[in-house]
Amino acid sequence: METVTTPRNARSEPESDGAAVLEIRGLLTRFPGEPVPATVVNDVSLSVRAGETLAVVGESGSGKTMTFVSAMGLVAHPGRVIAGEALLSGIDLLKLPAKELRKRRGAEIAMVFQDPLSGLNPVFRIGDQIMAVIRAHRALSRTDARKEAVRLLERVHIPDAGRRVDDYPHQLSGGMRQRALIAMAIALGPKVLIADEPTTALDVTVQAQILELLSEIQAETGMAMVLITHDLGLVARHADRVAVMYGGRVVEQGALDAIFKRTRHPYTVALFRSIPHLDTPADSDLTPIQGQPPNPSRLPKGCAFAPRCYLAQDRRDCLERSPTLAAADSPGHLSACHHWHDLAAEGDKAR
Amino acid sequence: MTDTSGQTSLDDLPPARRFAWLDRYVRHPGLMIGMVILLLLVTVAAAAPWIAPYSPLDTDLADTLAHPSAKHWLGTDQYGRDIVSRLIWGSRISLQVALAVVLISLTLGTLIGAVAGFAGGWVDRVIVVCNDILLAFPGFLLALALVAARGSSLESVITAVSIAFTPRVSAVMRSVVLTIKPRLFVEASRAIGMSSWRILWRHVVPNALPPVIVVATVSAATAILAEAGLSFLGLGVQPPTATWGNIISDGNAIITTNPLISFSAGLCIAVAVVALNLLGDGLRDTLDPQMRRQTGRMI
Amino acid sequence: MPVIGYLGRCLIQLVVTMIGIVTVAFFLMRAIPGDPAAYMLGDYATKEALATLHAQLGLDRPLFEQYLLFMGRAFSGDLGTSVVTGQPALSEITSSLPSSAALAVLGLLIAVLIGIPLGIWSAMRQGTWVDVTIMLGALAGISFPVFWFGLVAILFFAHWLDIFPALGATSSESIWTQLYYLALPALVFGFSIAAYIARLTRSAMLEVLSQDYVRVARAMGVPEWQVICKFALRNALIPILAVVGVTFAWAFGNAILIEAVFSRPGVGSTLLKAILARDYQLVQAGVLALAAIVVVINVSLEIAYGLIDPRLRK
Repeated sequence: METVTTPRNARSEPESDGAAVLEIRGLLTRFPGEPVPATVVNDVSLSVRAGETLAVVGESGSGKTMTFVSAMGLVAHPGRVIAGEALLSGIDLLKLPAKELRKRRGAEIAMVFQDPLSGLNPVFRIGDQIMAVIRAHRALSRTDARKEAVRLLERVHIPDAGRRVDDYPHQLSGGMRQRALIAMAIALGPKVLIADEPTTALDVTVQAQILELLSEIQAETGMAMVLITHDLGLVARHADRVAVMYGGRVVEQGALDAIFKRTRHPYTVALFRSIPHLDTPADSDLTPIQGQPPNPSRLPKGCAFAPRCYLAQDRRDCLERSPTLAAADSPGHLSACHHWHDLAAEGDKAR
Repeated sequence: MTDTSGQTSLDDLPPARRFAWLDRYVRHPGLMIGMVILLLLVTVAAAAPWIAPYSPLDTDLADTLAHPSAKHWLGTDQYGRDIVSRLIWGSRISLQVALAVVLISLTLGTLIGAVAGFAGGWVDRVIVVCNDILLAFPGFLLALALVAARGSSLESVITAVSIAFTPRVSAVMRSVVLTIKPRLFVEASRAIGMSSWRILWRHVVPNALPPVIVVATVSAATAILAEAGLSFLGLGVQPPTATWGNIISDGNAIITTNPLISFSAGLCIAVAVVALNLLGDGLRDTLDPQMRRQTGRMI
Repeated sequence: MPVIGYLGRCLIQLVVTMIGIVTVAFFLMRAIPGDPAAYMLGDYATKEALATLHAQLGLDRPLFEQYLLFMGRAFSGDLGTSVVTGQPALSEITSSLPSSAALAVLGLLIAVLIGIPLGIWSAMRQGTWVDVTIMLGALAGISFPVFWFGLVAILFFAHWLDIFPALGATSSESIWTQLYYLALPALVFGFSIAAYIARLTRSAMLEVLSQDYVRVARAMGVPEWQVICKFALRNALIPILAVVGVTFAWAFGNAILIEAVFSRPGVGSTLLKAILARDYQLVQAGVLALAAIVVVINVSLEIAYGLIDPRLRK
């Protein structure tokens, strides 16, 4: 393994280190529609281990959020999970009775959403919202729950927590609100924390602080973290492993440096070219990805990326056969492309 | 973002067929049912002189309070007038009131709203205050006050309901103008020489039309109910003219023996109002999802 | 002290709207063509009688002077004299107020108790037969004329089943007898408003249930009943209250119809009698008094929003 140029310690090879805390297998989520249903999560399999950070990358609408919303059994009407499992410590969340599932949500698996402005209820005090979460899982008196809420606010470095606990969301800044939401998410010490673009809505300086906080909590508790993002700079700095999603599928998956240094899917290549990140020299050209993301109700017969892919051109297998996620050249590195060899041949340093 | 809302919009792609945009209207059952009922009602009202079996006013004292028969499908009232014929002619009054109210409140409302929105400043403030006050004024009371001041007539009813609904239209129109005004300046600076009429036609009308149409259908429904209420109280169009409210009022005297008379007239009113409400709900759902907020508070 | 400031602003708004209503009432009545005096006296009025009545009503003075006079009197509680009974118009109205208030309060209570739960249930079961049934019922409720509901209710419950009195009035002192007479009109009134409230509650709940904070609460394992009844409902209540306010304005029209159908005494009946007797002053007073009540209710609701939504208190 080569040295990785990220501040984080790269962990050992995937598959070798302990059992997965959260393992998603063959997840399929559909929304009914006219004339055909929309498949927003299409046979997705992913896993995260304790202490590990998995980055899930992709454009808007690629199904990255829906995958985890589905795994937590939170798909909104009229959507439905058609197939698949979401194993949390070996127990399939999707087969649990509603009551059991509810007990695990928040307590064992928690989610921090994208927009801290809309994630907090505007008509309740911050403290009351955190207390509601605590008391949903633990039999604490109001006084004790309140103390716990203050402790949690201090834990996420909100200054003057004892006073802030009685504030309404509109009285806090965006960064403070996201901290409050993180406090809520870690209130019960979950095994897995899903952070859905936790910094997209925030200022750049605040972004770094929030991710710092998440890393700090992770280091302290050893929880697994899923970082849903489209910011490859964040991925480089915080992820151990990466899954790239496109059109509801995982198209490439592997260790951080494998994805960054030995990219084996043309969509990932296009992502690197379209988004500025730390490894991009300031003067290099950025090429936006041509075309539109696929409509989940009109997925093509072949590879969903083929219409926008520079490798596919008019290749028949790309247009006719949907590629499956299969081992690429390095161990634990998977790619769903018929022609990943072309990328290997192109030479990795070209990018 | 489509993937966080938990719903995936299928409308992102350009339509595959030429009239595919019609699909969502045709597929909305409420909208279609409302449209069909309304068309039927308009046809019946327009063709009243030809399809009504009898005159709505001709009394036949030899054949009063007749039970339903082949001769009189819904029987006759205490003066021997044919109920079916009266109901058919009554539809004219109701639709006339609805149409007049829609035309008046739409014309005045869009004008006032556009002036308020475009002029801004004190003009806007004065109009908004007047609007709010009129909205706080119960519409039905306004109608009563009008009738008290100038007697009961079709015009009083129409004037009163129009006054009650004009501020609703103008409030919607004003908010539409305010939202598109910033974009208009951009457009105008880009294409100097674009006449104000073209701006109006290309930008204001298409944006304002959907919410205004929804408010209009609601006002038409309310107008029909208000007319019926005033007629029922004896303050609307005066008997013996056949209006649905008058028929209920006449039928009320004999409701224990001949409930069918009041029943059928009430049903007619309900069918017309249901049709307009279905139409309004359907248009609200299909025209533009964003406008739900703007018109959501209208009754 | 933001709460006090908020209350202060609400009260100022109340006064401004009241002045506005009196102004609008005045100018509207003058702007509409037709001479109320001529209408009151009928077709065979002599010139002298007309002139006397004009003077009596103050219609012979300049418009602005009339306005100031009207305004000054209105705020000192003098809304003119009933031409028919010779009593002050205001006292005629206030004496019939309790009966109407009982009907309005009980009706609105029934409406809220039926409409809000049904609307919530409908929203929670969106797209199912529960939702469709409730919404079709609500559509019928807002589409049938309320007086027709009243007639059908009288026919069904009073004449056929004979469990309620047909006429909604009693001189009995007993509160239970009063309630017994009030029940049917209040139910009819309540159901007609419940239909509006249910439709509104449903759409407000659907809007709120799709908000991120509801998803967050669910994702954190907050029990569903708490998500709905605590987190979502308080947000949904703001638009619901707004419409209950508007509904109240509109419900006064219905109350007049209900009072007519059930032959109940009340402001509506008084107004109706005044209109039929061409008692212009009394009608004007009644309309003003009712409009004032509507405004007071709306301002109280505004204060209620502030208590629910901290953002408005700023």
